[in-house]
Amino acid sequence: MNLLLLGMSHRTAPLELRERYAVTDLAGPLEKLAGSPEVEEAVLLSTCNRVEVLVLTRTLEAARVRLRSFIERDLAGADAPPPSALDEALYEYVDRGAVRHVFRVACSVDSMVVGEPQILGQVKDAYRAAVEGGACGPILGRLYQRAFATAKRVRNETRIAERPVSVARVAVELATQIFETLHDKSALLIGAGEMTELALETLRARGLSAVRVANRTRARAADLAARFEASAWGLSELPEILPRSDVVLTSIGGHEPLLTVPLLERALEERRGRPMFVIDIGVPRNVDPAVNGLDNVYLYDLDDLSGVAESNAEERRREVERAESIVEEEQQRFDGWLSALAAVPTIRNLRARAEAIRNRELERTLGRLALGEPERAAVDALTRAIVNKILHAPISRLRDEAEREQGLAILEVARSLFALDGSGPDEAGPDENGGDEDA
Amino acid sequence: MALELHQITAATYLLAAVVAVLGLVVPAPRASRVAVGALGLGLLLHTLAFLSLHAQAQPPAFTELPMALSLMAWLGTLSFLLLLLVVRGAGLVVLVAPLAFAGSFAESLALPGVVDDLTRASPLWSHLHVLLASAGLALLGLAGAAGVLYVVHHRAIKAKRAAALRLPLPSLETLDRVNALALTLGFLLLSLGVLTGVAWVEAAEQRMWPGGWHANATLAAWLIYAVVVGARFGAHQGARQSALSSVAGFVVLVVAVVGAGMLA
Repeated sequence: MNLLLLGMSHRTAPLELRERYAVTDLAGPLEKLAGSPEVEEAVLLSTCNRVEVLVLTRTLEAARVRLRSFIERDLAGADAPPPSALDEALYEYVDRGAVRHVFRVACSVDSMVVGEPQILGQVKDAYRAAVEGGACGPILGRLYQRAFATAKRVRNETRIAERPVSVARVAVELATQIFETLHDKSALLIGAGEMTELALETLRARGLSAVRVANRTRARAADLAARFEASAWGLSELPEILPRSDVVLTSIGGHEPLLTVPLLERALEERRGRPMFVIDIGVPRNVDPAVNGLDNVYLYDLDDLSGVAESNAEERRREVERAESIVEEEQQRFDGWLSALAAVPTIRNLRARAEAIRNRELERTLGRLALGEPERAAVDALTRAIVNKILHAPISRLRDEAEREQGLAILEVARSLFALDGSGPDEAGPDENGGDEDA
Repeated sequence: MALELHQITAATYLLAAVVAVLGLVVPAPRASRVAVGALGLGLLLHTLAFLSLHAQAQPPAFTELPMALSLMAWLGTLSFLLLLLVVRGAGLVVLVAPLAFAGSFAESLALPGVVDDLTRASPLWSHLHVLLASAGLALLGLAGAAGVLYVVHHRAIKAKRAAALRLPLPSLETLDRVNALALTLGFLLLSLGVLTGVAWVEAAEQRMWPGGWHANATLAAWLIYAVVVGARFGAHQGARQSALSSVAGFVVLVVAVVGAGMLA
């Protein structure tokens, strides 16, 4: 049995290529894949950053060919590029490599933004779809359960996901360092821009209540205000609305600073010293940098926010090493379990063989003796106990050794020693007089 | 038994302080919760220590400096834990726990002596004075601690350094609320403490003002706090200035109480 993973990600394929193979409905493609004779179990993961297929197979080479054709034909959209476009984009992992890769993906170590939390949910969705579609069996089931446990460990034991790394989230975190709660705070959005709107949405998601939108004219502000269920204001009304705003996000064109020290001083006076958080995303800047010198104004421009975000990202990258060692540890644990699984048929054969010999010898002996039912039961229990006691040590040793590196070799030796591969002497063994080949 | 309980109390407060400081240095945001738990345990032990002391044959001298400091530590810790029910300020433990340890440490070295003549002459006023003044000092200490953290956090946000922003401190608004609340209550209790102190001296020695380092420095501290409270609530002083004033006022108060105790 082998694990085989084939896929492409942001590391190997550009978005234009990835989007051609991304699927939203996993059930259909999974059904096709699971129906293939080369595939025992399968899980399909498709996100905006990666498309990956993991299968358990008995025929590695055939599965390799099948997976390639699955991606080329079953996943490809109508306008898919020629198959040769995939040559550079696809990567492949086998057995331990595949396990390690699944763990790294679930832990967000392999993500574009290291430590981002969405990937774990996406992996869980992929696993759920495979289970519901009947494509995921005990081996991949166990693999994904371990992957989720590993991701949890990484999240708890490292700081890989602790600090925000996007400008919008950094802005929100700063707001929570200034204000105890955002539920009773109001924001003022001056101008419009993708980043300010994203920051505003993130702030609203954290509970920010009232929003005002200001633009050069009220009419221009009205559209945006409607989107955010906000009130619309003109720039001329800033002196009136600034004192009522706890968070100010600004991104508006113009070469002169819009928010100046005197304007904010007046606002602070009306606010009776309550703090203001000003986020200036405008280029050129909309807020006079001297404003940061005011006691209760905290001004962050795009460079400041990006600097904090980059520093946090650097901190996350430093944590990757610790995350990798957890992945390594968990991978070894899973490998051990997988290897121990290989011992199961050997142990089962060994038990069956011993039981067959016991039954045959028991029948032969009991046939010669005229024993009552209680005595027969006692002899049966005695032989069973003897067999169990003799087998206990080798079976325990087989289980333990199977998890180690030389496990397969030891299993081979055991199969040979106990003639479990059918090449040994006749199962009847030595004759009934107790003699053996050396006697 | 009482002495051993005081020693265990001091050790528990120290443990809380170490956990809280480590949590700030590492930084580990969850450490403050563990430290608050240890502080709560310390408060329980501290209460038992006081009860054990009270059960002794001779009444303890609460007017002695180590005992007064220990009482302040107990009241301060209690106030802090009660405050946490209304504000999210667990990060304050990084200053409260060391203060609690410092307050309880002297008491853990030796039990207090018996009451002096001055106290015996007017036990009601003396105990009221010590209790109210200690509670006031404890709350003003809390206001000072919030003030220190406010200034540190304010500078970190102003400086825009990512490393400084990672410090697991309460929000500026929380620290300001703690400061305002503790300042108001602390000043009220300190005022009552000063008044009961005057009443105590009047009852015991038939004079209005005892004079001396302790009384004069306490009056100076009270005046500073009167200005701070007036500026804060009357003139709407900014949070940072209020934080700085709270720290300055507490330093004068500590000099007045501890300094006087050491000189005595």
